[in-house]
Amino acid sequence: MGDMDRSVLTSQGFRPNRRQFLIGAAGVLGAGALMSSCGGSSSLSFGARTVDDGPTRQLKGLISAYEAASGNTVVYNATESNAFQNNLSQYLQGTPDDCFQWMAGYRMQFFAEQGLLTDISDVWDEIGDQFNDSYKIASTGLDGKQYFVPQSWYPWGLHFRKSMLAELGIDPDGIYNWDDFMGMLDGMKSKGLIGFAAGDKGGWEAMGTFDILNARINGYQYHVDLMAGREQWTDARTREVFTYWEQLVPYMNDNVLDLEWDGAMQLLLQRKAGAMLMGSWFGGNFLEQSQEDYDDLWIIPFPEINPEHARDTIDAPIDGFCVAANGENSDGGKDLIKFAGSKEGMQAMLDTGEPMTSANKNQDTSSYDAFQKQQLAVMEEAKYITQFLDRDTRPDFAGPVVGPAIQQWFRDPSSVDGILESLQEQWDALPPL
Amino acid sequence: MSVTTAGEPRSRRRRRLSSRGDRVTLGLFVGLPTFFHVLLVWLPAIATILLSFTFWTGINFSDITWAGFDNYDNIFFSTPAFYDALRNNAIWLGWFFLIATPLGVLLAYQIDREIRGHRFYQSAYYIPVVLSLAVTGIIWNFMLRPDGFVNGLLGRDIDNAVSFFGNYDINIYVIMVMASWRHIGYIMLLYLAGLKAVDPALREAAAIDGATEWETFRKVVLPTMRPVNIIIVVITMIESLRAFDMVYVIYGTSAGLPILGILVFQNIAGEGASMKGAAYAVILFVLSIGPIIAYLRQQFRQDVS
Repeated sequence: MGDMDRSVLTSQGFRPNRRQFLIGAAGVLGAGALMSSCGGSSSLSFGARTVDDGPTRQLKGLISAYEAASGNTVVYNATESNAFQNNLSQYLQGTPDDCFQWMAGYRMQFFAEQGLLTDISDVWDEIGDQFNDSYKIASTGLDGKQYFVPQSWYPWGLHFRKSMLAELGIDPDGIYNWDDFMGMLDGMKSKGLIGFAAGDKGGWEAMGTFDILNARINGYQYHVDLMAGREQWTDARTREVFTYWEQLVPYMNDNVLDLEWDGAMQLLLQRKAGAMLMGSWFGGNFLEQSQEDYDDLWIIPFPEINPEHARDTIDAPIDGFCVAANGENSDGGKDLIKFAGSKEGMQAMLDTGEPMTSANKNQDTSSYDAFQKQQLAVMEEAKYITQFLDRDTRPDFAGPVVGPAIQQWFRDPSSVDGILESLQEQWDALPPL
Repeated sequence: MSVTTAGEPRSRRRRRLSSRGDRVTLGLFVGLPTFFHVLLVWLPAIATILLSFTFWTGINFSDITWAGFDNYDNIFFSTPAFYDALRNNAIWLGWFFLIATPLGVLLAYQIDREIRGHRFYQSAYYIPVVLSLAVTGIIWNFMLRPDGFVNGLLGRDIDNAVSFFGNYDINIYVIMVMASWRHIGYIMLLYLAGLKAVDPALREAAAIDGATEWETFRKVVLPTMRPVNIIIVVITMIESLRAFDMVYVIYGTSAGLPILGILVFQNIAGEGASMKGAAYAVILFVLSIGPIIAYLRQQFRQDVS
C-alpha cells in the first residue's frame, strides 16, 4: 500500500501542479464554480461500458476504493455497452475519459495500432507479476507493448441447473463427451423440455457455439488459423462443424432468431431448457431471482468430440481497462488502471458482492462461491484460451459477415455449403489491412 | 432573382441604389446559410463519395489507400446481404406507395368530409406522428417481442411465443405494419392540410354537374392538389429508402432485417470502420436522389407546358 502511495506522488510529480495552476487561472477568470482539488490529488475520469446495476455497483466499488487510497477524485461516466462499442472510434479520437473499460485481444490491439491507447508497459512492470502469461499476451499490442489491464474473465461453457440434471439422474461430471451430452439432451427432450437453449437475434451469440465446436472437432490451431484466414471456410473440416451443430438443432427452441442471449438465459432460469452454452457473466441474473437459483447454477466444459483435442480449448474473453491516449490526465488514468489490476482493486470489486472472477492470480479465492470455483476449474482444464469469434478475427468480418451467415444457417441448415462458399468469398473480398 | 431582363432598367437602378447596409444584410442572409449548407451537407456528401473509392479504417488520414471500384465490386458481387437489403427496401417502397400512402389519403378525404367522429379519428391517427421512429420501434418491440404484450395476451411463454421478428419470412411485413402505423397519420395530416385549401365551390359545382364522389375526387380534387401530391410522392420515396431507426431499435446491427440504412451503419460504426459503408451510402444516395430528380423534372416540365 505504502509502495503505491509513493508511486502516485512520483508518477504525477509535475502534472497536478500544472493542473491546479490551470484550475486556479480559470477561477480567476470567473469560472468560480469549478471545484478545485486540494493537496497532491488530481481529478480524472473513468468511462464505464455498462449501465446495468450489478456491474455498475462493482465499478463504483472500485472507484471509491481508489479515491480513498489515492485521494484523487474520479468522475464516473457510464454508457450502454452497445452504444459504447459503436462509438469507440469517435470517442477515442475526441475527448475520451482517461481510463475506460474495454476488451482484450484483437479489439484492443486494433486501437493500440491506431495510436489511440496509451502504452502502459510501465504499469505492467509494477503489477505484471500478478498475472499469468496468457493474460499478459492478451494485454499486449502488436508492437509488443502492453495497453490493457485485465479485470475479469468468464468462461464459455455448458450451463445448466444441477437440480434438473438430478431429476434425470445424471451426474454433471458424467457428461464428458458428445454421446454423454446427446444422452442428456434426449433426457430433457423426453421430459418435454428444450434441451439446448439458444438465442441469436443479436447475431453474435451463436458465434460461441461455432468457436467451441470448431475447437473440439478440429483443434485450437485450426480454429486460430481459420480466424486469421490461413484456413478456408469451405474446407471439409469447417463443414464438419455444421454437421455437429445440426445435430443440436432438434433440441433447440424454435425461436432462436427471436431471442437474444438473455432470452435464452430466461429459458434456463424458468426451467424450460436443460442446458445452454454461454459465458458465465449472467450469474448475477440468477442471484437476482434468488440465492436458491444461483446455487443451482452450474457450468462444465463443452463436451469432448475429437479425443485428440479432448477439452483443451475454451473461449474465455477477458474484460479490463485501457488508458486513452487523448485523455486529459493520462498519468491519472495509468494510476487508476494500476490500482484496478492490483489485488486491492480487485478485492474492492469482489467486496461489492457481485459475482466476478478476478484476473489477478494472487487473488484470495477463498471468498469465491461454489459456482465461481467451478468456473476456475473449468478454466484450468483448458490448455488454450481463445477470446471469442468477434474478438479473434477482423471486426469488418465478424459482425457484418459471420453474424448474418450463422443467422442464415439457422433459418435453413441445409444451405450450409452455399453459406460457407459465400463466407470464404467475402473473406477474400476484404480490403488489405 | 438575379435573372433580371434587360427591359427593366428601373429595378436594376433601384437595386444598385440599395444602401451598403442592405447589401451586407442580403449577403449575410444568403451567404451564411449557403456557407453552412455547403459545409455541413455538401462537403460530407462529397467526402463520402470520394471515400467510397478508398480503403480506410476511419482513424488516421495517412492510412487512406486508393481502392478504385473494389468496395462496389465487393458489394455487388460478393455480398448477398446487399440484395436482401435491396429487396426489403423495394418491399418497403411498394408497401408505402400501394397501401400506406393511399390509406392516408383516404383517411384525410373522409375526415375532410367531416364524417361522424372525425375529430377523434384525426387525433387518433395523428398521435403516432409526434413520436419519433425510434420510439415507435420501442413501443412495438414491447408489444411483439417474445416476452411482450401480445404474446402475453395469447398466453404464450418465451419458449412457444409467436415469432414476429425472428421469422424471416414475415418479419418485413411486421415491420411494414409498424412503419405504416406512423406513415398513414403523417400522409393524412399533409393531405388534410391540402384539402382544407381546396375551394368548396369547386366541389359544389361538380356535384351540381352530377359528378359522383369518385369522379369529383379524381377529376376535381386531385388535380387541384397537385403541389401536395408532389410532396407526398417525394416524402413516401424518401421515407422508404432512408428507413433505419425502427429496424435498428429492434435488430441492432445484426442481419435480422437487412435494409440499406442498416448496412451503411453496420460497416461504418463500431471498431474498424470500412469504407464499404461509404459505398453503401453512395448507392443509397443515388437510389434516393435519382428517381426524385426524375419525378420533379417531369412534374415541372408539365407545369411549364
